[in-house]
Amino acid sequence: MTATTITDALRVEDLHVAYTVRGVDRAVLRGVSFSVAPGEAFGLVGESGCGKSTAAYAALRYLPRNGKIVSGSVHAVDRDIMAMSEDELRLFRAREAAMVYQDPSQAMNPSIKVGKQLFECFTLLGQSKDEAQTAALEALRRVRIADPASVLDRYPFQLSGGMQQRVVIAMALAGDPSLLVLDEPTTGLDATVEAEVLDLVRELRAETGAAVLMISHNLGIIRSLCDRVGVMYAGRIVEQGPSEQVFDDPNHPYTVGLLHSVPRHGVRKTERALATIPGTLPLIGESLPTCVFLDRCPIASDTCRAEAPPEVPLGDGRYTRCHHHEQVGAIATTSTVPDIAVLAPSEVRQGVLELSHISKTFKQRSNAIPALVGVDLELREGETLGIVGESGSGKSTLAKAILGIESADSGGSVLLDGRVVAPATRERSPDEKRSLQMIFQNPDSALNRSWTVRHILVRSIEKLTGVKGQAANERAESLAASLRLTPRHLDLKPRQLSGGLKQRVAIARAFAGDPRIVVCDEPTSALDVSVQAAILNLLSDLQSEQHTSYVFISHDLGVVRYLADRIAVMYLGRIQELGTTDAVFGGPTHPYTEALLSAVSSVDGAARSRIPLEGEIPSPANPPSGCVFHPRCHRRIEGRCDTAVPELQDAGNGHFIRCHIPAAELAALQGVPVAAPTVRR
Amino acid sequence: MTSTLEPAANLPRGSVRDAKYVSERRQARQERWRLLRRRPSFVIGGVIVVWWTLCALFGTWIAPKHPENDRIEPYLKPGAKALFGTDSTGRDVLSRVIVGSRDVLRSAPAAALISVALGVTIGLILGYFGGWIDLVFGRIIDAVLVLPAVLIGLLATTMLGNSAPVVVGVVAALFTPIVARTVRSAVLAERDLDYVTSARLRGESSWFIMFREILPNLWGVIVVELTIRIGFAIFTIATLAFLGAGPQPPSPDWGAQVQDTYASDIVSGFWWTAVFPSLAIASLVIAVNLIADSIQAVAED
Repeated sequence: MTATTITDALRVEDLHVAYTVRGVDRAVLRGVSFSVAPGEAFGLVGESGCGKSTAAYAALRYLPRNGKIVSGSVHAVDRDIMAMSEDELRLFRAREAAMVYQDPSQAMNPSIKVGKQLFECFTLLGQSKDEAQTAALEALRRVRIADPASVLDRYPFQLSGGMQQRVVIAMALAGDPSLLVLDEPTTGLDATVEAEVLDLVRELRAETGAAVLMISHNLGIIRSLCDRVGVMYAGRIVEQGPSEQVFDDPNHPYTVGLLHSVPRHGVRKTERALATIPGTLPLIGESLPTCVFLDRCPIASDTCRAEAPPEVPLGDGRYTRCHHHEQVGAIATTSTVPDIAVLAPSEVRQGVLELSHISKTFKQRSNAIPALVGVDLELREGETLGIVGESGSGKSTLAKAILGIESADSGGSVLLDGRVVAPATRERSPDEKRSLQMIFQNPDSALNRSWTVRHILVRSIEKLTGVKGQAANERAESLAASLRLTPRHLDLKPRQLSGGLKQRVAIARAFAGDPRIVVCDEPTSALDVSVQAAILNLLSDLQSEQHTSYVFISHDLGVVRYLADRIAVMYLGRIQELGTTDAVFGGPTHPYTEALLSAVSSVDGAARSRIPLEGEIPSPANPPSGCVFHPRCHRRIEGRCDTAVPELQDAGNGHFIRCHIPAAELAALQGVPVAAPTVRR
Repeated sequence: MTSTLEPAANLPRGSVRDAKYVSERRQARQERWRLLRRRPSFVIGGVIVVWWTLCALFGTWIAPKHPENDRIEPYLKPGAKALFGTDSTGRDVLSRVIVGSRDVLRSAPAAALISVALGVTIGLILGYFGGWIDLVFGRIIDAVLVLPAVLIGLLATTMLGNSAPVVVGVVAALFTPIVARTVRSAVLAERDLDYVTSARLRGESSWFIMFREILPNLWGVIVVELTIRIGFAIFTIATLAFLGAGPQPPSPDWGAQVQDTYASDIVSGFWWTAVFPSLAIASLVIAVNLIADSIQAVAED
């Protein structure tokens, strides 16, 4: 690979890196080699802990204090980065390589205005103050920020996440780098903003000709942005090659496992369970003398146990590190869990939860901020209602109002089995508390880290069901078993468990009192895809056994599509669309939903023309007149959408759309790919 | 040789992985202990504290002479006859320093423990409930913190008497607001975590959430706070004794010894009667702080 005639923008060879943890060196990278040609985009993809970020940081000799490069070489163009002095290295980082981090709000100094921080980048490069000023304006224009002059005069916290990331990218490009390293640049951002940032990176790459090294756990993003990809596992690249080939025709069991665990091609829970990768990632520093994936590989043989697989070339610069790559096609695409019992159509089933005109207004000094406005919803037995929308759309507030964590405003009501329940949790009866439980996004925060798993489960059982002592203990054991936790896990504390196991414990706790309704707030977004698949399977198993209803909040449309029976789309605290999953994904659909759907980078590679959303989400304190979505809508009707609030129109089969454009017309409009925003008069 | 992927296997498999988790916990604890032992500051601090603790427990047996009753001759210079010299009445300074550790090592940890117990309770209440309780008591704490501790201590002991329980009580009362403030800020970070929300969702009382859910997660903060408070308590109690509050001469208490000797002896050139007990106080305070620093550093690693 590296024996090319052109000089690579970055060439990493046999890199070994170790971290010192509690006084012991532990291997993190176990011989990583890759190269990025000038103007090329190379992606490193893998789950958390695989070493992808370490590889990128080590390539710029930029490791945390306890990290060290054990051996290997890194060359940028023709210069040896390992041999550089501190001064040379600083100059190299200032002029030739730039880095964009995951969280833009932490990459900027919160107490210095954007302009000053941006000027610094240019004055560091030896420009005068005036030159820097012009250059900063130009840099912001280059990253397509509207009204750059006013942005210069603002503090970072006054910008949205997408704008912040644009500014960070502008800073990174200040020195016209020949290499741009992007570390999960869109992970904290909404899908619509993510799509915009990725578009920007693509355009800038074409403009500047910089080589891009992209690190992401998101297969779809890597596929849509990168020419070539390296799939990392346990500190080694297990498969490398052109992105499309690797994702369409994977040749390593790990790549196959990853691709199988993502809900793809619109698959639904009723069709099949998701495939999972058995086992867990090796701990850092663990001794892995042969194949790193051995312990979890479904096709491992004695050869794999005896010797490390070489790089097996597959042509086109592709290789895989697998002794048996010709057998990967035989790995099952589905796991062998029992099929989901197909429940009767939701109209026939009994309603368990009804929200009638729920609003929630937060008071901030003298301002009233309406976070939820007149939400009406019904949830039936055994049904999953997906809630989607960007951050700030009121999804989490809705969950809190249902559970009574935040009491809804008076005037609306939450009805459980037709009876009104008190707005606040503490005023609800034990039976109502038992019936409404929650699964949180982050199990690290949701589980008390000083309690054992047994303590956590027993306490919930005692409190919610009234069963005490030995009987509660036995229930905890059977509950754990039903979530496929072994008895030995019960006596461990959360931090000794992997992310997936922790989330199982959190789910077990929610199910301790046989709840009627479980609110799931992004339950898999903190997890890796292979773990996510197992959790999603588990949730649908539990549902088909116990007929529990879920309110499932997620920003991942693929996951919602897989799990939800019906979907509610929220914008600025209001429900914009409500319908069955097939209806919402099949269309006709609300213009906002249309934009959301178009923003997804799919690993399937199916290109969709993206509908950009204009401007930013308005402040809920000061919502736009008429339809709240009209300022950003690509189908707005001037003179109508900005004056009249649209009603939820019935598009048939329980599908409701809050739009002035009739459903039939929307269907006709959306039947053709939308090229440019059309403003109707 | 193809097997299907089973979700049931998507777990740490069987006992091999489980054993690894358990041994990992033990290993982490051992590694932390080893790191602690490898820190020179921890070893030095530990040796000094152990030495003074032994002196406090078995001082009368360790000391070569009786601290109050045995007389050699007045104002002997440090030398072969008396390693640290003798004082105005011919008592052995070394023996008095050894036995003198007893008073301070009894009252300082007691005062620190009481202040931490009270401070943790108050801090939990302020941090958890917030609102007006926090606002009102927070201001009271700020007001108390402004007052010079030694002055208040002296005033209180003058009013309430000189007994050891009074000194302990006064020092504990002075330290409580400081502990409360530290614990309060630690509680603020915990309060917003989802396990607290989860406890509310299953109907736990505020008392249960504070003392059973949140408190166990504050142990790190509390241990560090306790060691720091012990150091400050030694210093404060010795200072009070020096100013005349606490054990009175002829007690061999360090602070009392310094108070008894510094004015008359030092100007006359008999430096050893004041310097050795002062060094003893300094060594103990520094040693306790060295240990506190090491624990904090290892906990943050």
